[in-house]
Amino acid sequence: MRILTFSLIAAFLAGVPAAHVAAQGPESTVYISVVATKLFVVGAANPQTGIHYQRPSADTVWQHTGAVNIRAFGVAVHPGSGQKVLYIASGNGLHKSTDGGATWRITTGWSITEVQSVSPDPFDPDRVYIGTPYGVYRTTDGCRTWQEASAGLSSRFISQVTASPIVKGQVYCATESGTYISIDGASTWARMGLSVGGVRTLVQHPRDPKVFAAGTEDHGLYMSTDGGAVWTRREAGIDHLTFYAIAFDPTAPDTMYAAGYVTGVYRSVDGGTSWKRMNEGLSVLSFKCLAVDPRDSRRVYAGAYWGGVCVTRDRGEHWRSVGPPDSQVWSISIQP
Amino acid sequence: MTVRSFLCVILLLAGVGSSSAQTREEYLKAYTARASEIRHSFDTSTAVSYYTIAARYASRRGIATADSLFQIALREPRGDMFWMFPVIGAYLHGKDIMSGTTKAAVRNAWKTYAPYRGDTENHWAMYYSTLYLAAEQWPDLPGTEWFNGKSSRENLDEARDYLIHWMKITTTIGQGEFDSPDYFPEYAISMNLLSQFAQDPVMKKRGEMMYDYILADFAAEHLNGQYLGGFSRIYQPAVYKPLLSGASGFAWLYFGTGEAQDTSVGHLPPTPKARPPGESPYSGWQLLPALSDYRLPEIIYRIATDRSKPYLHKERKRVRNVIRFGTEKNPPVYKQTYVTADYGIGALQGGLLQPIQQHTWCVRFTAGRPYTTIFGLHPYWSSYELGMFFPEEIKPLIADVVASKGTYNNPDKWTGGSPYERTFQSKNTLIVLYDIPAGTMTEHIDGFFPGTLDTRTTDASGWIVCKAGRTYVGWYPLQPAEWIPETDPPGQQKNVIGRPESMRDQKTGPVNWRLRSHKLQNGYVVEVRSEKEVGSFEAFVAQLRTHIPRATLLPGKVAVEYTSIGKDRMVFGFPERRMLNGTPVDLSTYRLFDGPFLRADVGSETLTMTWGGKTRTLNFKNVTISEK
Repeated sequence: MRILTFSLIAAFLAGVPAAHVAAQGPESTVYISVVATKLFVVGAANPQTGIHYQRPSADTVWQHTGAVNIRAFGVAVHPGSGQKVLYIASGNGLHKSTDGGATWRITTGWSITEVQSVSPDPFDPDRVYIGTPYGVYRTTDGCRTWQEASAGLSSRFISQVTASPIVKGQVYCATESGTYISIDGASTWARMGLSVGGVRTLVQHPRDPKVFAAGTEDHGLYMSTDGGAVWTRREAGIDHLTFYAIAFDPTAPDTMYAAGYVTGVYRSVDGGTSWKRMNEGLSVLSFKCLAVDPRDSRRVYAGAYWGGVCVTRDRGEHWRSVGPPDSQVWSISIQP
Repeated sequence: MTVRSFLCVILLLAGVGSSSAQTREEYLKAYTARASEIRHSFDTSTAVSYYTIAARYASRRGIATADSLFQIALREPRGDMFWMFPVIGAYLHGKDIMSGTTKAAVRNAWKTYAPYRGDTENHWAMYYSTLYLAAEQWPDLPGTEWFNGKSSRENLDEARDYLIHWMKITTTIGQGEFDSPDYFPEYAISMNLLSQFAQDPVMKKRGEMMYDYILADFAAEHLNGQYLGGFSRIYQPAVYKPLLSGASGFAWLYFGTGEAQDTSVGHLPPTPKARPPGESPYSGWQLLPALSDYRLPEIIYRIATDRSKPYLHKERKRVRNVIRFGTEKNPPVYKQTYVTADYGIGALQGGLLQPIQQHTWCVRFTAGRPYTTIFGLHPYWSSYELGMFFPEEIKPLIADVVASKGTYNNPDKWTGGSPYERTFQSKNTLIVLYDIPAGTMTEHIDGFFPGTLDTRTTDASGWIVCKAGRTYVGWYPLQPAEWIPETDPPGQQKNVIGRPESMRDQKTGPVNWRLRSHKLQNGYVVEVRSEKEVGSFEAFVAQLRTHIPRATLLPGKVAVEYTSIGKDRMVFGFPERRMLNGTPVDLSTYRLFDGPFLRADVGSETLTMTWGGKTRTLNFKNVTISEK
């Protein structure tokens, strides 16, 4: 614990830019956003919050970039930027770095706050989407200006907004009143067929744009194979109802992972038809986010409530915690 | 004679703490003595505190020491917006006399330390008022010189836009974090700093007007240092020890009432575990206002202290932003307060209007310090409540909140609103009803009765009758209840920002009483009168005996019919059916302010204060103050 803490502080004080660590190499770079550590109080000293990153071989050692204590809900890297362009979705707004984390700028004003998620458009280096409790916002000029992009949404509370990595112009979001999809870059939204509320996460198959999976508050885990028109609740092997995170294995998409409130981590190897809890080694059971390392898909990361990051090197057979200790990790972005 | 002893004598001679100042000259003399007392308690302190630093600069006393302390304090900035305001306050008082090194340290801190903007209205008031002042002080700097990467111009514009936006919604649909005895200082300091230091004359005027506005809001619901009525947010122990609040410290400074020493909040930063010898006994919240040129307009002082006639005061505020489980972002809050020279009783309409710390109603009186209040509540908590107002995931939120506000999920807590609670007030008569679904986290309601009451007995008629000095309170429980004695924790634990939170260690202290009823369909009627209104306590009790409520208490059908001792016929059906003397009560007609002292219409962006035939009008549309 001391070594970890010391490593964090030392890296932070040294001001090591992320890009210096994230240079291309044989390993991916793992970025995480830490919203809070135990006993987070506004106005108090709240160390070790914000954005951390590491190479997997660093094991329990994480480095820090950007501000601490900003309620960092999300982190993202603009595809194609060589990990130069980074984003933080935070209580203070949308932070952007164009130099790999050496310097940051808050790009939003007072009217955009509590940014829950950020998703850069993989087809456009100037286009970014953010989800907030007050709607979806979009920039088309590299974060110089932002416009609200909520036309057609019946709920303004956006848990997650995502620019499709495989369909240009397609954006989808999970909201308090269901799932929505846009095919015109969030200019207009259409309701998808899922009728339950409290949708917390919505993810798309990495190759088949018609396959979606959704995690909900109290309503379980759903999947659609027709682009979101018809949804089926997946129950085989599932004993829980609240799911905050779902991840496909990008190299073998029939393998999926799901986790949420006191769920531990579920794994499916048949495209989400059946599931099995894979909890060996987990010291916590509530998870907010999941990510599969695209460079080595045996390696899966799970961001925990108050438990830092748990990692498996064998597709969920065994897990162990790699810190940061006692932290709420809200998002993970793995860059190959 | 020490400086402190000398000051005490001066204060006594000046009548400090007395509300009997009659002339403006006498008032100003007493005010100056109080402000000086605060200032001198800090400018002689050696504590590493931004308040000590500000006071030394303002007093031109020990500049080298102030410089040294400032540089020490800035080595480890922390506290977010609670850091921003004392730092900019200290800087603005000392910028012309501090060393170049100190100046550079302050400037560097605004480049390298990134404060969190926060998630409440008071956070933003502090963040943007101080960011505005800082951007004015260091104009024309590029974004690389600021913690957020924005240029001086961008920070100034953003801060100005937000401040004007906040002033507009406050003066059109009401403040969201309204009437908070504990959060009053955050707004007060923010507006005071703007009024004192803004270089832009329009923003300076806006700061002065908004400071007037919140002080007038307090003044109309003020009695002997206490904030009256229902509140958006309050902590323990201020909820049952009303003078232990930040607002009471301001009442002492400006109205000459209340308590000078605010112990409910701590220094930030640093937070000393114990105050060392030589440290100011004051919290620091009142220091920056005490150093300023602002002088309370006489009309606000009169409104705060003239209790020669009882009066009814109504207000309209707004609910904090509803982000889930609702269709309206800021539903209205309706508040009514009845004020006399001896007591005040006030209530919000009930329901969930603010998360965690709502105080729906209370009676407060002048006798029986420190426990000068009686109130009741349903001690409710739920992830549903938190999910309405906070964006984090709903299920883990309770644990998140309890980490900093330890009483939240305590069934014995004394703060918080409930969706299963509603009120109906007619002047000094109040009906409170509850329709609590079975399986709710807490299946009881509680009433707080202080141990310092002169009398607390249950009459054969069913009325619980209480006497606190010249104030009489009758409480008619609609369902059986039990009395539970409890002691007030003598040393309240404080959370990391210095606010008291813990309910543990309840060991010694005077015995107060909890009236607990476990019936889910429930309620009570409260009548309050003073000796001046009804004569003897015995006469009050005799009147109550002939006024017995009739109640229907079934799930989904909770109602009461009652004729008050003031002869008002009140019919109240949970949740929203209120009939007064045969006429439906339409809360939606409430103005922003409506009473003999304050008047403002919804959407008006104005506030007119009235006292003794004189008026003072704040007009935020054209940023003017007019007096007649």
